[in-house]
Amino acid sequence: MSITEKVLCSKSHEFLLDNGDENYIIGLTDYAVEQLGDIVFLELPEIGSEFKKGETFATVESVKAASEIYMPISGRVIEVNEEAVDTPEILNEDAWEKGWLVKIEATGDTVAEQTDLLEYEDYKEELE
Amino acid sequence: MTKETFLHDKHVQLGAKMVDFAGWHMPVQYSSIIEEHKTVRENAGLFDVSHMGEVFVSGKDALEFLNKIVPQNISKLDYEKAVYCQLPNKNGGLIDDLIIYKLGILEYLVICNASRIDEDLNWMVRNSKGFDVKIDNRSHEFSLLAIQGPKADMLMRKMGLDTHQQSFTIKPAKIAGVKVLASRTGYTGEDGYELLVDNIHSEFLWDEILKQGEEFGIKPIGLGARDTLRLEAALHLYGNDLDENTTPIEAGLSWSVPKDKEEDYNGKAVIMEQIKNGTSKKLIGLKMLDKSIARHEYEVYKNGKKVGHITSGAPSPILGANIALAYVKNDKEICTGSTVQVMIREKLHDAEVVKRPFVEKRNRIKN
Repeated sequence: MSITEKVLCSKSHEFLLDNGDENYIIGLTDYAVEQLGDIVFLELPEIGSEFKKGETFATVESVKAASEIYMPISGRVIEVNEEAVDTPEILNEDAWEKGWLVKIEATGDTVAEQTDLLEYEDYKEELE
Repeated sequence: MTKETFLHDKHVQLGAKMVDFAGWHMPVQYSSIIEEHKTVRENAGLFDVSHMGEVFVSGKDALEFLNKIVPQNISKLDYEKAVYCQLPNKNGGLIDDLIIYKLGILEYLVICNASRIDEDLNWMVRNSKGFDVKIDNRSHEFSLLAIQGPKADMLMRKMGLDTHQQSFTIKPAKIAGVKVLASRTGYTGEDGYELLVDNIHSEFLWDEILKQGEEFGIKPIGLGARDTLRLEAALHLYGNDLDENTTPIEAGLSWSVPKDKEEDYNGKAVIMEQIKNGTSKKLIGLKMLDKSIARHEYEVYKNGKKVGHITSGAPSPILGANIALAYVKNDKEICTGSTVQVMIREKLHDAEVVKRPFVEKRNRIKN
């Protein structure tokens, strides 16, 4: 099963990947990364910080502008992608795997909070 | 309605990402802003800048009229020469910045920013009362193609440019058999040309330049790289670094303002007073000392106090650092080599005041 069959995507272009045991990986969709162009800076939260669904937890900057990244579900940050902070261009190379942003432990009602997230195929359709 | 240049379909075919800019649907990038930027610094790039305005000024009083609306001395402008000018209001604030070319006896071409054509025309017409002058906006008739980079001259010669041309001159020429006005100017800090061509020939010329330029590594370049290129060269962008509340002296453009022009012009009293007594704000160049990026309108601090704001900021692909232009209080403590702070997402980040341009310009071709 390819990763695009497993992720859920938000309308603000974050993806959520269920990693089991209430743990999730959050990143930016390939569409978001392509729209941004060359990614040159990434600011990720500290481990342990908590965010509610919809809150800004990170900032990504392309050559042209800074964009905020929002939590697709509520959670506590348990790991951040240091490699992506050091070399943000890996988001352009591989948004789904190498370019993940944070791993979280869900803190909200994961079922209810995911109802507005889309499967990749539907997300792509929405974009068209 | 968003306007399209005559080259719009070419951009789409080339896979450009299109954005709205100053009411025009324009290519922001074809591949990657950083790659396109480096292509211009290393080889040559082709830009569609047809959105820019072309206003022809002619008539018995054309010279007197232009002398009234810009601080520069148009009497000293020779045939086929260009001069960088500003269009000040009565208070010295800038309505636009321009290039003025002398095309013939009492005939001038004014190139203005796409976003300012209407304001410029209004202002020119209002100021033309009592002058025998014709102000003719022919922006819709022409396309403007810029070829910029160290290999631009070689390419233009290969394509038919037969005489040597100095920087800041304009001459009629035939490029790939197409009649153009070739100006050795640009907005990148590199050597290069801007070709003014009838709309109907623009697609042919665009294709020919890309085809014949292949051996020089030419690529189409979008507005994204145009912005980072001009920022490295510390060339001002109207709307960011220049506006109606900023005089040319505050903007660090004193070099372009003659001190001895006899004719009166709009804003002269303020501009001359500032040359004599100095200004309360000044434009500075900044290099961020960490990986953060200062952007338009971020605040600048010194010793914990707000002293100004960023007007333009971006990564510099050539320096591998993040650079910015800012207006700050004209304070002696804020000098080259000193450190200030930029407020980015509620945190202060150190930046060093550095000389402008950030990257050495290579566009002054004399012989």
